[in-house]
Amino acid sequence: MDLILQQLPQQLVNGFTVGGVYALIAIGYSMVYGVLFMLNFAHGEIYMVGGFTGWWVLHFLSSPEGLRAPPLVVVLAMILAAMVLCGALGVAVERVAYRRLRQAPRINLLLCALGVAILLQNTVLQTHGAETRHFLVSDLIPSELRVMEVGGVVLSFMRVVVVVAALALMAGLTWMIRRTKMGKAMRATAQDAEAAAFMGIETDRIVMWTFFIGSALGGAAGALVGLLFTQVDFFMGYAAGIKGFTGAVLGGIGSIPGAMLGGLLLGLLEALGTAFISSTYRDVIAFVVLILVMLFRPQGLLGRKELEKV
Amino acid sequence: MGTQGDLSKDEELGSSHQDHNISHKETVMKGWAWTLILAGVLMALPAAPGMCGKVEDGIKIGAAGPFTGAAAAPGMEIYNSIKLAVEEKNAAGGIQGVKVELVMGDTAGDAAQGVNVAERFCSDDRIYGVVGPAMSDIAEAVLRLYGSHDMVQISSAATKSDLTEKGYGHFFRTCARNDAYGPAVARFLVHRLEAKRVYLLNAKDAYSQGFADQVAKTLEALGVQEVWRDTVVSGEKDYSSVLTKVKARNPDLVLFASKPPPDHTLMVRQMRDLGIQAIYFGTEGAKDKAEFIKASEGAAEGAYVYHFATDIHKVPEAKDYVEAYEKTYGTLSGFGPSAYEAARILLAAVERAAEDGAIDRKEVLEEVAATKDFPSILGFPVTFDEKGDLKGGATYIFKVRGDDFELVEVVTGAGTT
Repeated sequence: MDLILQQLPQQLVNGFTVGGVYALIAIGYSMVYGVLFMLNFAHGEIYMVGGFTGWWVLHFLSSPEGLRAPPLVVVLAMILAAMVLCGALGVAVERVAYRRLRQAPRINLLLCALGVAILLQNTVLQTHGAETRHFLVSDLIPSELRVMEVGGVVLSFMRVVVVVAALALMAGLTWMIRRTKMGKAMRATAQDAEAAAFMGIETDRIVMWTFFIGSALGGAAGALVGLLFTQVDFFMGYAAGIKGFTGAVLGGIGSIPGAMLGGLLLGLLEALGTAFISSTYRDVIAFVVLILVMLFRPQGLLGRKELEKV
Repeated sequence: MGTQGDLSKDEELGSSHQDHNISHKETVMKGWAWTLILAGVLMALPAAPGMCGKVEDGIKIGAAGPFTGAAAAPGMEIYNSIKLAVEEKNAAGGIQGVKVELVMGDTAGDAAQGVNVAERFCSDDRIYGVVGPAMSDIAEAVLRLYGSHDMVQISSAATKSDLTEKGYGHFFRTCARNDAYGPAVARFLVHRLEAKRVYLLNAKDAYSQGFADQVAKTLEALGVQEVWRDTVVSGEKDYSSVLTKVKARNPDLVLFASKPPPDHTLMVRQMRDLGIQAIYFGTEGAKDKAEFIKASEGAAEGAYVYHFATDIHKVPEAKDYVEAYEKTYGTLSGFGPSAYEAARILLAAVERAAEDGAIDRKEVLEEVAATKDFPSILGFPVTFDEKGDLKGGATYIFKVRGDDFELVEVVTGAGTT
């Protein structure tokens, strides 16, 4: 028992890091669901594209002699490029694939999303091959700060960067949703699209922005994962998508704070489950919790009970 | 909604519409029944055992392995080596003037895909033998299928011990088995590295689990008291949680059994990032300069890796192969030579079977089984024992020094001494 308590702070850090990534992905799912009532299963693949974008930026800004720009600039460039590219990709997907199906039964949209996911995955497979791409990140890390020990907990520099970036993005999003006009319009559309339209809010534009922001966050998550785990491959979107989706549902699908909470909670549960039970059952633990929450609180932790509109 | 409309329509039209429906249904069902029977017959036909073929009709051999996916790097080295062997044979005139064709069967490291490949190969009458699959769990999944078609398999890398213990006579391998490697590695850990606290991690697949089990068993027999084990999910990118557990135990050595090279890169990197100073010991997949040493950017320094093949650059008989391979495909990591030999042995067996002008799978199988003292580039002549295993394999231990692997020990013999 002592041994486990000793590990606790470190496991919390581990869980928080990966939870932050899950949260960013989960937000994308919740945002789209909140506005369109659809589950965008292509979101996981957009995260994957974000990872590859980060790789390409690092590749361009690296040379055999070292980096072509200061490390901070490179990291910011990776994240921003991933955000912009994935945001644009999300908007394009919405415009091309989902827009016409807005009045169709939900199942059609779901299948369409799966189709887009397969398309994205295979496009990357064809263009980049099946091998894992490695990030050569040692130049990005200042050598004194490589591994830091803070109160018994070991933090690697990259881990800190990822957590800080994830928190910053989430804070930025929350500010945007609460304080800007666009945020208000998005909340209005999510609450009642028709009424919002009556108030003069252009639904199409709001949907476009929702997809842009949600996908941008997913893309950022991909780039951060690339930095932290130094690997991306064409298949990573699948597992991450499921985890992100689970996090969104756990926190209450449609709710952005719920997505953040759900994602973080999922990360923590996985880390603690590994520590206390077994690392083999890491995924099982997370999904068992999901099932329990769905059984006893189907709307998720922060979701509202959906009223049946008769 | 749509369904409701249909119901009301039925009611309106009344019984006559329904009668029409029933007889229409009957006709449709009869049609379906015939289609199913026909389909069943057509599908059963290819399953008929491989018929005797004439040499001039064409000769093919199949290559099954993980040519895409996480293990694509070693997988493609295997494929390219097989291809090289086939090209050399064809350049020397083929088999009685007929050029041998190589058919690629990508299993992508997935058992279901492996079965698809096996079915495809078995239903092609011109394929007389298969090199592969390279991965133990895939090989296990397809043993029965190939066996029922008398299709000889020579695997270059499937090391799970019980593959040759199940009583199949068609499976051979040009690599030794886990119950030779596992104990050999454990003996190295105890006698040479003097490890007293060992943490064993493995991925949950047949090979990795089997290997880790063997190491654990031997460590116990050798009296090592502090051994801990944990499993990870392969493909998982975040090992930090399980490594935190490892760190709490403060082991001398961490051994990780997993197939894909990127897993090893992640594990060793994350170990160092968490401040774990223990020695890292990786399994075969880790022996890859680009994927392991370079990609881990220094974290792999001083790590040990075992492999079933020696450093092929040091074997004089292999000089031509090494030159030919590295000119076209780049540096060899260790998986190529045994695949090259497997292909050469298969081709030699096919040639002997084809001597009388007719060739069939059973003949090829018998010729492979009869392989004795085949001059190989592995550093020793190849003979298969009655189970299909290689006689005379050894375990080679390498250490990462700088940007390359250095052979530090050759462990021979089996058992737990």
